Amino acid sequence: MSEAAFPGRNSRTGVGDAAVVRAREVEDVLVDGEIVRHRLSSRVIHWTVALFFFVCLFTGLPIWTPLFGWMATLFGGLSVCRWLHPWSGAVFSVASLVMLVHWFSEMKLRGKDSEFLTPGGLVRYFRYRGEDSEVGKYNGGQKVLFWAAALGALGLLASGIVMWFPERFGHELRQLSYVAHDVAFILFFAMIIGHIYLGTAAEPGTFRSMTGGTVTKEWARLHHPRWYREVVGEEANRSSARRR
Amino acid sequence: MNASGLEIRQSSAGMWGTSTGQRKMPVVSKYIDTSTCIGCKACEVACQEWNDLQVVPTAQAGTYQTMASLDANYWNLIEFRELEADGNFSWLMRKDQCMHCADPGCLKACPAPGAIVQYENGIVDVNPEACIGCKMCETGCPFDVPRYAARTDKMAKCTLCVDRVQVGLEPACVKACPTGCLHFGTKDDMKALAASRIDQLKSSGFAHAALYDPPGVGGTGVITVLAHGDHPEWYGLPKDPRVPTGVRFWKNVLRPVGVIAFAATFFAMVGHYLTFGPKKPKDGGEKTKGDV
Repeated sequence: MSEAAFPGRNSRTGVGDAAVVRAREVEDVLVDGEIVRHRLSSRVIHWTVALFFFVCLFTGLPIWTPLFGWMATLFGGLSVCRWLHPWSGAVFSVASLVMLVHWFSEMKLRGKDSEFLTPGGLVRYFRYRGEDSEVGKYNGGQKVLFWAAALGALGLLASGIVMWFPERFGHELRQLSYVAHDVAFILFFAMIIGHIYLGTAAEPGTFRSMTGGTVTKEWARLHHPRWYREVVGEEANRSSARRR
Repeated sequence: MNASGLEIRQSSAGMWGTSTGQRKMPVVSKYIDTSTCIGCKACEVACQEWNDLQVVPTAQAGTYQTMASLDANYWNLIEFRELEADGNFSWLMRKDQCMHCADPGCLKACPAPGAIVQYENGIVDVNPEACIGCKMCETGCPFDVPRYAARTDKMAKCTLCVDRVQVGLEPACVKACPTGCLHFGTKDDMKALAASRIDQLKSSGFAHAALYDPPGVGGTGVITVLAHGDHPEWYGLPKDPRVPTGVRFWKNVLRPVGVIAFAATFFAMVGHYLTFGPKKPKDGGEKTKGDV
Protein backbone atom coordinates (compact mmCIF):
# COMPACT_ATOMS: atom_id res chain seq x y z
CA MET A 1 0.00 0.00 0.00
CA SER A 2 1.29 3.42 -0.80
CA GLU A 3 2.10 6.09 1.69
CA ALA A 4 -1.05 7.97 0.80
CA ALA A 5 -3.11 5.11 2.15
CA PHE A 6 -2.21 6.10 5.70
CA PRO A 7 -1.86 9.86 5.53
CA GLY A 8 -2.59 10.32 9.21
CA ARG A 9 0.50 8.41 10.16
CA ASN A 10 2.78 10.41 7.94
CA SER A 11 4.53 12.83 10.22
CA ARG A 12 6.76 14.09 7.44
CA THR A 13 3.98 15.68 5.47
CA GLY A 14 1.85 16.39 8.51
CA VAL A 15 -1.21 15.25 6.63
CA GLY A 16 -3.90 14.23 9.06
CA ASP A 17 -2.96 16.55 11.88
CA ALA A 18 -5.65 18.95 10.77
CA ALA A 19 -8.11 16.09 10.91
CA VAL A 20 -7.07 15.24 14.47
CA VAL A 21 -7.52 18.88 15.46
CA ARG A 22 -10.90 18.92 13.81
CA ALA A 23 -11.83 15.70 15.61
CA ARG A 24 -12.18 17.64 18.84
CA GLU A 25 -15.49 19.06 17.75
CA VAL A 26 -17.14 17.26 14.87
CA GLU A 27 -17.67 13.78 13.53
CA ASP A 28 -18.36 12.37 10.07
CA VAL A 29 -16.36 14.91 8.09
CA LEU A 30 -13.53 14.50 5.66
CA VAL A 31 -10.46 16.55 6.50
CA ASP A 32 -7.19 16.27 4.62
CA GLY A 33 -7.90 12.74 3.43
CA GLU A 34 -8.93 11.49 6.87
CA ILE A 35 -12.41 10.90 8.18
CA VAL A 36 -13.28 12.06 11.67
CA ARG A 37 -15.06 9.16 13.38
CA HIS A 38 -15.12 9.97 17.09
CA ARG A 39 -14.98 13.51 18.37
CA LEU A 40 -13.29 14.29 21.67
CA SER A 41 -16.35 13.94 23.89
CA SER A 42 -17.11 10.48 22.45
CA ARG A 43 -13.58 9.36 23.12
CA VAL A 44 -13.47 10.76 26.66
CA ILE A 45 -16.73 8.99 27.51
CA HIS A 46 -15.52 5.73 25.99
CA TRP A 47 -12.21 5.79 27.85
CA THR A 48 -13.82 6.78 31.15
CA VAL A 49 -16.04 3.72 30.92
CA ALA A 50 -13.04 1.60 29.88
CA LEU A 51 -10.84 2.88 32.72
CA PHE A 52 -13.36 2.07 35.40
CA PHE A 53 -14.14 -1.25 33.74
CA PHE A 54 -10.50 -2.21 34.14
CA VAL A 55 -10.32 -0.97 37.72
CA CYS A 56 -13.41 -3.07 38.46
CA LEU A 57 -11.92 -6.02 36.60
CA PHE A 58 -8.57 -6.03 38.35
CA THR A 59 -10.03 -5.38 41.79
CA GLY A 60 -12.81 -7.91 41.22
CA LEU A 61 -10.77 -10.81 39.85
CA PRO A 62 -8.78 -11.43 43.07
CA ILE A 63 -12.05 -11.46 45.02
CA TRP A 64 -13.60 -13.76 42.40
CA THR A 65 -10.99 -16.49 42.68
CA PRO A 66 -7.65 -16.87 44.47
CA LEU A 67 -6.15 -17.77 41.07
CA PHE A 68 -5.99 -14.02 40.48
CA GLY A 69 -5.06 -13.18 44.07
CA TRP A 70 -1.76 -11.74 42.90
CA MET A 71 -3.63 -8.89 41.18
CA ALA A 72 -4.64 -7.52 44.57
CA THR A 73 -1.01 -6.56 45.05
CA LEU A 74 -1.40 -3.98 42.27
CA PHE A 75 -3.80 -2.04 44.48
CA GLY A 76 -2.26 -2.71 47.89
CA GLY A 77 -4.07 -5.84 48.95
CA LEU A 78 -7.43 -7.54 48.95
CA SER A 79 -8.92 -5.14 51.51
CA VAL A 80 -8.21 -2.23 49.17
CA CYS A 81 -9.81 -4.16 46.32
CA ARG A 82 -12.88 -4.83 48.42
CA TRP A 83 -13.18 -1.08 49.09
CA LEU A 84 -12.23 0.12 45.62
CA HIS A 85 -14.33 -2.37 43.65
CA PRO A 86 -17.82 -1.10 44.63
CA TRP A 87 -16.84 2.54 44.31
CA SER A 88 -15.24 2.13 40.90
CA GLY A 89 -18.30 0.07 39.99
CA ALA A 90 -20.48 3.01 40.94
CA VAL A 91 -18.42 5.36 38.75
CA PHE A 92 -18.48 2.77 35.96
CA SER A 93 -22.27 2.69 36.17
CA VAL A 94 -22.57 6.46 35.98
CA ALA A 95 -20.12 6.62 33.06
CA SER A 96 -22.05 3.83 31.33
CA LEU A 97 -25.25 5.80 31.74
CA VAL A 98 -23.62 8.85 30.14
CA MET A 99 -22.38 6.63 27.33
CA LEU A 100 -25.87 5.20 26.87
CA VAL A 101 -27.36 8.66 26.47
CA HIS A 102 -24.49 9.82 24.27
CA TRP A 103 -24.88 7.08 21.65
CA PHE A 104 -28.52 6.21 22.19
CA SER A 105 -29.95 7.47 18.89
CA GLU A 106 -27.04 6.26 16.75
CA MET A 107 -27.28 2.72 18.08
CA LYS A 108 -30.85 1.95 17.10
CA LEU A 109 -30.98 -1.35 15.26
CA ARG A 110 -31.95 -0.93 11.60
CA GLY A 111 -32.33 -3.25 8.63
CA LYS A 112 -29.97 -6.18 8.82
CA ASP A 113 -28.47 -5.12 12.17
CA SER A 114 -30.54 -7.61 14.09
CA GLU A 115 -28.73 -10.44 12.29
CA PHE A 116 -26.04 -9.94 14.87
CA LEU A 117 -28.43 -11.08 17.56
CA THR A 118 -28.26 -14.58 16.07
CA PRO A 119 -25.20 -16.83 16.49
CA GLY A 120 -25.13 -17.32 12.71
CA GLY A 121 -24.82 -13.61 12.11
CA LEU A 122 -21.95 -13.32 14.58
CA VAL A 123 -20.13 -16.29 13.08
CA ARG A 124 -20.53 -14.86 9.56
CA TYR A 125 -19.05 -11.61 10.77
CA PHE A 126 -16.09 -13.28 12.46
CA ARG A 127 -15.50 -15.31 9.30
CA TYR A 128 -15.43 -12.05 7.32
CA ARG A 129 -18.31 -13.33 5.20
CA GLY A 130 -21.48 -11.77 3.91
CA GLU A 131 -20.23 -8.25 3.76
CA ASP A 132 -22.99 -5.74 3.48
CA SER A 133 -22.43 -2.59 1.43
CA GLU A 134 -25.20 -0.92 3.42
CA VAL A 135 -23.29 -0.89 6.73
CA GLY A 136 -23.50 2.62 8.17
CA LYS A 137 -21.38 4.29 10.80
CA TYR A 138 -21.95 1.43 13.21
CA ASN A 139 -22.55 -2.13 12.15
CA GLY A 140 -25.03 -4.44 13.79
CA GLY A 141 -22.35 -6.03 15.95
CA GLN A 142 -21.32 -2.70 17.41
CA LYS A 143 -24.90 -1.79 18.11
CA VAL A 144 -25.67 -5.12 19.73
CA LEU A 145 -22.51 -4.78 21.82
CA PHE A 146 -23.63 -1.33 22.89
CA TRP A 147 -27.01 -2.55 24.13
CA ALA A 148 -25.55 -5.69 25.66
CA ALA A 149 -23.00 -3.56 27.53
CA ALA A 150 -25.78 -1.33 28.84
CA LEU A 151 -27.78 -4.36 29.92
CA GLY A 152 -24.70 -5.98 31.45
CA ALA A 153 -23.81 -2.82 33.36
CA LEU A 154 -27.35 -2.70 34.71
CA GLY A 155 -27.11 -6.33 35.85
CA LEU A 156 -23.73 -5.75 37.46
CA LEU A 157 -24.99 -2.61 39.20
CA ALA A 158 -28.18 -4.20 40.51
CA SER A 159 -26.47 -7.32 41.84
CA GLY A 160 -23.51 -5.25 43.02
CA ILE A 161 -25.70 -3.03 45.19
CA VAL A 162 -27.10 -6.09 46.95
CA MET A 163 -23.57 -7.42 47.48
CA TRP A 164 -22.41 -4.05 48.77
CA PHE A 165 -25.21 -3.76 51.35
CA PRO A 166 -26.28 -7.37 51.94
CA GLU A 167 -27.79 -6.64 55.36
CA ARG A 168 -30.55 -4.64 53.70
CA PHE A 169 -31.72 -7.50 51.52
CA GLY A 170 -33.16 -10.96 52.01
CA HIS A 171 -31.14 -14.14 52.11
CA GLU A 172 -32.38 -15.48 48.76
CA LEU A 173 -31.76 -12.20 46.96
CA ARG A 174 -28.19 -12.12 48.27
CA GLN A 175 -27.48 -15.61 46.94
CA LEU A 176 -29.08 -14.72 43.64
CA SER A 177 -26.95 -11.58 43.41
CA TYR A 178 -23.69 -13.46 43.88
CA VAL A 179 -24.67 -15.80 41.06
CA ALA A 180 -26.00 -12.99 38.85
CA HIS A 181 -22.90 -10.84 39.38
CA ASP A 182 -20.66 -13.71 38.29
CA VAL A 183 -22.78 -14.61 35.26
CA ALA A 184 -23.04 -10.97 34.17
CA PHE A 185 -19.31 -10.53 34.64
CA ILE A 186 -18.36 -13.59 32.61
CA LEU A 187 -20.61 -12.58 29.70
CA PHE A 188 -19.48 -8.96 29.93
CA PHE A 189 -15.84 -9.98 30.01
CA ALA A 190 -16.16 -12.27 26.98
CA MET A 191 -17.87 -9.45 25.13
CA ILE A 192 -15.20 -6.89 26.03
CA ILE A 193 -12.37 -9.23 25.04
CA GLY A 194 -14.07 -9.60 21.64
CA HIS A 195 -14.51 -5.84 21.46
CA ILE A 196 -10.87 -5.14 22.24
CA TYR A 197 -9.69 -7.82 19.83
CA LEU A 198 -11.81 -6.47 16.96
CA GLY A 199 -10.73 -2.93 17.74
CA THR A 200 -7.03 -3.76 17.63
CA ALA A 201 -5.55 -6.93 16.14
CA ALA A 202 -8.46 -8.17 14.03
CA GLU A 203 -9.28 -4.90 12.32
CA PRO A 204 -6.16 -2.77 11.94
CA GLY A 205 -6.78 0.94 11.69
CA THR A 206 -9.69 0.85 14.12
CA PHE A 207 -7.91 1.72 17.33
CA ARG A 208 -6.83 5.16 16.13
CA SER A 209 -10.46 6.16 15.86
CA MET A 210 -10.55 6.04 19.66
CA THR A 211 -7.22 7.83 20.15
CA GLY A 212 -6.83 10.59 17.59
CA GLY A 213 -10.45 10.23 16.55
CA THR A 214 -9.80 9.75 12.83
CA VAL A 215 -9.74 6.84 10.37
CA THR A 216 -8.49 6.45 6.85
CA LYS A 217 -10.83 6.46 3.90
CA GLU A 218 -9.76 2.92 3.09
CA TRP A 219 -10.74 1.77 6.56
CA ALA A 220 -14.11 3.48 6.36
CA ARG A 221 -14.81 2.05 2.92
CA LEU A 222 -13.97 -1.46 4.06
CA HIS A 223 -15.80 -1.56 7.34
CA HIS A 224 -18.55 1.02 7.00
CA PRO A 225 -19.23 1.47 3.25
CA ARG A 226 -22.48 3.41 3.49
CA TRP A 227 -21.06 5.72 6.15
CA TYR A 228 -18.05 6.23 3.89
CA ARG A 229 -20.23 7.14 0.93
CA GLU A 230 -22.24 9.54 3.07
CA VAL A 231 -19.14 11.28 4.38
CA VAL A 232 -17.34 11.62 1.08
CA GLY A 233 -20.50 12.64 -0.75
CA GLU A 234 -21.09 9.62 -2.93
CA GLU A 235 -24.43 8.82 -1.38
CA ALA A 236 -27.31 10.42 -3.26
CA ASN A 237 -29.44 11.15 -0.22
CA ARG A 238 -26.56 11.61 2.16
CA SER A 239 -26.93 13.09 5.56
CA SER A 240 -24.80 16.14 6.16
CA ALA A 241 -21.99 16.00 8.67
CA ARG A 242 -23.38 16.23 12.13
CA ARG A 243 -22.18 18.93 14.42
CA ARG A 244 -23.19 18.38 18.01
CA MET B 1 -5.88 -16.53 63.94
CA ASN B 2 -5.59 -17.83 67.44
CA ALA B 3 -4.20 -21.30 66.99
CA SER B 4 -1.12 -21.25 64.82
CA GLY B 5 -0.12 -24.57 66.35
CA LEU B 6 -3.09 -26.47 64.98
CA GLU B 7 -3.23 -28.31 61.70
CA ILE B 8 -5.45 -26.62 59.12
CA ARG B 9 -7.95 -28.88 57.35
CA GLN B 10 -9.38 -26.31 54.98
CA SER B 11 -9.11 -22.60 54.37
CA SER B 12 -11.37 -20.04 52.73
CA ALA B 13 -10.42 -19.30 49.11
CA GLY B 14 -7.95 -22.12 49.58
CA MET B 15 -5.58 -23.23 46.88
CA TRP B 16 -3.12 -26.07 46.76
CA GLY B 17 -0.95 -26.17 49.83
CA THR B 18 -3.29 -24.52 52.31
CA SER B 19 -3.82 -27.80 54.12
CA THR B 20 -1.04 -30.22 54.97
CA GLY B 21 -3.04 -32.91 56.76
CA GLN B 22 0.09 -34.32 58.36
CA ARG B 23 -0.92 -34.46 62.00
CA LYS B 24 -4.24 -36.00 62.87
CA MET B 25 -6.23 -35.02 65.89
CA PRO B 26 -9.68 -35.98 67.12
CA VAL B 27 -12.65 -33.83 66.21
CA VAL B 28 -13.79 -31.94 69.29
CA SER B 29 -17.25 -30.84 70.22
CA LYS B 30 -19.13 -28.74 72.69
CA TYR B 31 -22.10 -30.41 74.29
CA ILE B 32 -25.12 -28.31 75.21
CA ASP B 33 -28.04 -29.74 77.13
CA THR B 34 -30.86 -27.23 76.75
CA SER B 35 -32.92 -29.08 79.34
CA THR B 36 -30.51 -28.29 82.19
CA CYS B 37 -29.74 -24.70 81.22
CA ILE B 38 -31.04 -22.33 83.93
CA GLY B 39 -30.38 -19.15 81.96
CA CYS B 40 -27.81 -17.79 84.43
CA LYS B 41 -25.68 -16.26 81.66
CA ALA B 42 -22.41 -17.22 83.32
CA CYS B 43 -21.29 -18.50 79.91
CA GLU B 44 -22.03 -15.11 78.35
CA VAL B 45 -19.86 -13.35 80.95
CA ALA B 46 -17.07 -15.90 80.68
CA CYS B 47 -17.05 -15.51 76.88
CA GLN B 48 -16.85 -11.73 77.10
CA GLU B 49 -14.05 -11.89 79.65
CA TRP B 50 -11.90 -14.56 78.09
CA ASN B 51 -12.13 -13.08 74.60
CA ASP B 52 -11.66 -9.49 75.85
CA LEU B 53 -14.81 -8.42 74.07
CA GLN B 54 -16.05 -4.91 74.60
CA VAL B 55 -19.24 -4.12 76.45
CA VAL B 56 -22.28 -4.18 74.20
CA PRO B 57 -25.36 -2.28 75.46
CA THR B 58 -28.04 -4.68 76.60
CA ALA B 59 -31.56 -4.38 75.25
CA GLN B 60 -34.73 -5.01 77.17
CA ALA B 61 -37.28 -6.70 74.95
CA GLY B 62 -39.63 -8.03 77.60
CA THR B 63 -37.63 -11.18 78.28
CA TYR B 64 -34.54 -12.09 80.26
CA GLN B 65 -32.51 -12.26 77.06
CA THR B 66 -29.47 -9.97 77.15
CA MET B 67 -30.00 -8.51 73.69
CA ALA B 68 -31.88 -9.24 70.51
CA SER B 69 -29.19 -11.23 68.72
CA LEU B 70 -25.47 -11.88 68.48
CA ASP B 71 -23.06 -9.02 67.91
CA ALA B 72 -19.53 -8.67 66.60
CA ASN B 73 -18.62 -8.12 70.27
CA TYR B 74 -21.03 -10.72 71.69
CA TRP B 75 -20.40 -14.23 70.45
CA ASN B 76 -22.49 -16.25 72.85
CA LEU B 77 -26.10 -15.41 73.63
CA ILE B 78 -28.63 -17.40 75.63
CA GLU B 79 -31.97 -17.03 73.88
CA PHE B 80 -35.07 -17.24 76.08
CA ARG B 81 -38.20 -18.65 74.50
CA GLU B 82 -41.56 -19.36 76.03
CA LEU B 83 -43.43 -22.41 74.84
CA GLU B 84 -46.98 -23.47 75.42
CA ALA B 85 -47.64 -26.99 74.20
CA ASP B 86 -50.12 -29.65 75.27
CA GLY B 87 -51.41 -27.30 77.95
CA ASN B 88 -47.98 -27.02 79.53
CA PHE B 89 -45.80 -23.97 79.75
CA SER B 90 -42.05 -24.28 79.46
CA TRP B 91 -39.08 -22.07 79.06
CA LEU B 92 -36.71 -23.05 76.27
CA MET B 93 -33.21 -21.74 76.58
CA ARG B 94 -30.85 -22.00 73.64
CA LYS B 95 -27.19 -21.11 73.43
CA ASP B 96 -26.82 -19.14 70.21
CA GLN B 97 -23.26 -19.21 68.93
CA CYS B 98 -21.19 -20.49 66.02
CA MET B 99 -22.04 -24.15 65.44
CA HIS B 100 -18.61 -25.02 63.96
CA CYS B 101 -20.09 -26.96 61.04
CA ALA B 102 -18.07 -29.76 59.50
CA ASP B 103 -19.10 -28.23 56.16
CA PRO B 104 -18.93 -24.51 56.99
CA GLY B 105 -20.97 -22.27 54.70
CA CYS B 106 -19.10 -19.18 55.89
CA LEU B 107 -15.79 -20.67 54.79
CA LYS B 108 -17.29 -21.72 51.47
CA ALA B 109 -18.59 -18.22 50.75
CA CYS B 110 -15.49 -16.35 51.94
CA PRO B 111 -13.32 -14.94 49.10
CA ALA B 112 -10.34 -13.93 51.26
CA PRO B 113 -7.63 -16.60 51.45
CA GLY B 114 -7.18 -17.76 55.03
CA ALA B 115 -9.76 -15.41 56.56
CA ILE B 116 -11.79 -18.40 57.74
CA VAL B 117 -10.06 -21.68 58.52
CA GLN B 118 -11.15 -25.04 59.79
CA TYR B 119 -8.61 -26.83 61.93
CA GLU B 120 -8.08 -30.54 61.87
CA ASN B 121 -10.05 -30.80 65.13
CA GLY B 122 -13.09 -29.26 63.41
CA ILE B 123 -12.99 -25.81 64.96
CA VAL B 124 -13.87 -23.03 62.50
CA ASP B 125 -11.82 -19.93 63.24
CA VAL B 126 -11.57 -16.40 61.87
CA ASN B 127 -8.39 -14.58 60.96
CA PRO B 128 -9.13 -10.84 61.22
CA GLU B 129 -5.88 -10.00 59.47
CA ALA B 130 -7.08 -11.67 56.27
CA CYS B 131 -10.76 -10.68 56.56
CA ILE B 132 -11.78 -8.03 54.04
CA GLY B 133 -15.20 -7.28 55.53
CA CYS B 134 -17.21 -8.31 52.47
CA LYS B 135 -20.00 -9.98 54.55
CA MET B 136 -20.25 -12.95 52.17
CA CYS B 137 -19.90 -15.29 55.17
CA GLU B 138 -23.17 -13.90 56.52
CA THR B 139 -24.91 -15.20 53.41
CA GLY B 140 -23.10 -18.51 53.56
CA CYS B 141 -24.00 -19.28 57.18
CA PRO B 142 -27.23 -21.28 57.64
CA PHE B 143 -27.35 -20.28 61.33
CA ASP B 144 -27.04 -16.49 60.94
CA VAL B 145 -23.97 -16.32 63.17
CA PRO B 146 -21.17 -14.21 61.64
CA ARG B 147 -21.39 -10.55 62.60
CA TYR B 148 -19.76 -7.66 60.76
CA ALA B 149 -18.16 -4.89 62.83
CA ALA B 150 -18.28 -1.60 60.94
CA ARG B 151 -15.68 -0.04 63.23
CA THR B 152 -13.01 -2.56 62.28
CA ASP B 153 -14.46 -3.69 58.91
CA LYS B 154 -14.03 -7.29 60.07
CA MET B 155 -16.22 -10.27 60.76
CA ALA B 156 -16.31 -11.82 64.21
CA LYS B 157 -17.79 -14.94 65.76
CA CYS B 158 -17.19 -17.63 68.38
CA THR B 159 -13.84 -19.40 67.98
CA LEU B 160 -14.78 -22.24 70.32
CA CYS B 161 -11.97 -20.74 72.43
CA VAL B 162 -9.47 -22.41 70.15
CA ASP B 163 -6.69 -20.59 72.00
CA ARG B 164 -7.73 -22.49 75.13
CA VAL B 165 -8.49 -25.75 73.36
CA GLN B 166 -5.08 -25.97 71.72
CA VAL B 167 -3.40 -25.95 75.13
CA GLY B 168 -5.75 -28.55 76.59
CA LEU B 169 -8.37 -26.34 78.27
CA GLU B 170 -12.09 -26.38 77.71
CA PRO B 171 -13.86 -23.29 76.26
CA ALA B 172 -14.48 -20.47 78.74
CA CYS B 173 -18.26 -20.92 78.66
CA VAL B 174 -17.93 -24.61 79.56
CA LYS B 175 -15.59 -23.71 82.41
CA ALA B 176 -18.12 -21.24 83.82
CA CYS B 177 -21.31 -23.29 83.48
CA PRO B 178 -22.63 -24.18 86.99
CA THR B 179 -25.19 -26.84 86.03
CA GLY B 180 -23.27 -29.26 83.88
CA CYS B 181 -25.35 -28.21 80.93
CA LEU B 182 -22.12 -27.61 78.98
CA HIS B 183 -19.40 -30.14 78.39
CA PHE B 184 -16.42 -30.30 76.10
CA GLY B 185 -14.43 -33.18 74.68
CA THR B 186 -14.02 -35.33 71.61
CA LYS B 187 -17.11 -35.49 69.48
CA ASP B 188 -17.44 -39.24 70.08
CA ASP B 189 -17.42 -38.72 73.84
CA MET B 190 -19.92 -35.89 73.63
CA LYS B 191 -22.26 -37.96 71.47
CA ALA B 192 -22.10 -40.79 74.00
CA LEU B 193 -22.90 -38.32 76.78
CA ALA B 194 -25.80 -36.98 74.72
CA ALA B 195 -27.14 -40.48 74.13
CA SER B 196 -27.33 -41.24 77.85
CA ARG B 197 -28.95 -37.87 78.58
CA ILE B 198 -31.52 -38.46 75.82
CA ASP B 199 -32.38 -41.83 77.39
CA GLN B 200 -32.91 -40.05 80.70
CA LEU B 201 -35.15 -37.44 79.05
CA LYS B 202 -37.18 -40.09 77.27
CA SER B 203 -37.78 -41.97 80.48
CA SER B 204 -38.86 -38.65 82.02
CA GLY B 205 -41.62 -38.27 79.46
CA PHE B 206 -39.87 -36.36 76.68
CA ALA B 207 -40.58 -38.95 74.01
CA HIS B 208 -39.08 -36.84 71.22
CA ALA B 209 -35.84 -35.91 72.95
CA ALA B 210 -33.06 -35.94 70.40
CA LEU B 211 -29.60 -34.71 69.59
CA TYR B 212 -29.26 -31.76 67.22
CA ASP B 213 -26.24 -32.55 65.04
CA PRO B 214 -27.60 -31.61 61.59
CA PRO B 215 -26.26 -33.86 58.81
CA GLY B 216 -27.00 -31.20 56.14
CA VAL B 217 -23.85 -29.35 57.19
CA GLY B 218 -21.92 -32.55 57.87
CA GLY B 219 -22.67 -32.38 61.58
CA THR B 220 -21.62 -29.59 63.89
CA GLY B 221 -18.88 -29.01 66.43
CA VAL B 222 -21.53 -27.78 68.84
CA ILE B 223 -24.11 -30.46 69.51
CA THR B 224 -27.32 -29.76 71.36
CA VAL B 225 -29.64 -32.03 73.31
CA LEU B 226 -33.22 -30.93 72.72
CA ALA B 227 -36.06 -32.17 74.90
CA HIS B 228 -38.37 -31.43 71.98
CA GLY B 229 -36.05 -32.89 69.38
CA ASP B 230 -38.77 -33.14 66.77
CA HIS B 231 -39.18 -29.36 66.84
CA PRO B 232 -35.76 -27.67 66.70
CA GLU B 233 -37.51 -24.57 65.35
CA TRP B 234 -39.10 -24.10 68.80
CA TYR B 235 -35.58 -23.33 69.95
CA GLY B 236 -34.84 -21.10 67.00
CA LEU B 237 -32.76 -23.76 65.27
CA PRO B 238 -33.28 -24.50 61.57
CA LYS B 239 -34.80 -27.91 60.94
CA ASP B 240 -32.48 -28.99 58.15
CA PRO B 241 -29.66 -26.44 57.83
CA ARG B 242 -27.57 -26.58 54.69
CA VAL B 243 -25.03 -24.39 52.99
CA PRO B 244 -27.40 -22.28 50.85
CA THR B 245 -27.98 -23.70 47.37
CA GLY B 246 -27.06 -20.38 45.75
CA VAL B 247 -23.72 -20.29 47.57
CA ARG B 248 -22.94 -23.90 46.67
CA PHE B 249 -23.83 -23.37 43.01
CA TRP B 250 -21.85 -20.13 42.96
CA LYS B 251 -18.68 -21.65 44.38
CA ASN B 252 -18.85 -25.27 43.20
CA VAL B 253 -20.23 -24.84 39.69
CA LEU B 254 -20.19 -21.28 38.48
CA ARG B 255 -16.68 -20.38 39.53
CA PRO B 256 -14.86 -23.26 37.81
CA VAL B 257 -17.10 -22.85 34.75
CA GLY B 258 -16.34 -19.12 34.80
CA VAL B 259 -12.59 -19.67 34.98
CA ILE B 260 -12.79 -22.04 32.01
CA ALA B 261 -14.97 -19.58 30.06
CA PHE B 262 -12.52 -16.85 30.98
CA ALA B 263 -9.60 -18.78 29.51
CA ALA B 264 -11.65 -20.00 26.53
CA THR B 265 -12.38 -16.41 25.52
CA PHE B 266 -8.68 -15.69 25.22
CA PHE B 267 -7.98 -18.83 23.26
CA ALA B 268 -10.95 -18.18 20.97
CA MET B 269 -9.51 -14.80 20.02
CA VAL B 270 -6.00 -16.16 19.52
CA GLY B 271 -7.45 -19.01 17.47
CA HIS B 272 -9.45 -16.59 15.38
CA TYR B 273 -6.41 -14.46 14.66
CA LEU B 274 -4.37 -17.49 13.64
CA THR B 275 -7.20 -18.81 11.46
CA PHE B 276 -8.58 -15.71 9.82
CA GLY B 277 -5.98 -13.05 10.55
CA PRO B 278 -6.77 -9.38 10.40
CA LYS B 279 -9.57 -8.21 8.16
CA LYS B 280 -8.17 -6.62 5.02
CA PRO B 281 -9.76 -5.11 1.95
CA LYS B 282 -10.25 -7.81 -0.69
CA ASP B 283 -8.94 -5.55 -3.46
CA GLY B 284 -6.11 -4.18 -1.38
CA GLY B 285 -7.85 -0.84 -1.07
CA GLU B 286 -6.41 0.38 -4.32
CA LYS B 287 -9.73 1.73 -5.54
CA THR B 288 -9.91 4.46 -2.99
CA LYS B 289 -6.37 5.55 -3.42
CA GLY B 290 -6.06 9.19 -4.18
CA ASP B 291 -8.64 11.91 -4.00
CA VAL B 292 -12.36 11.40 -4.01
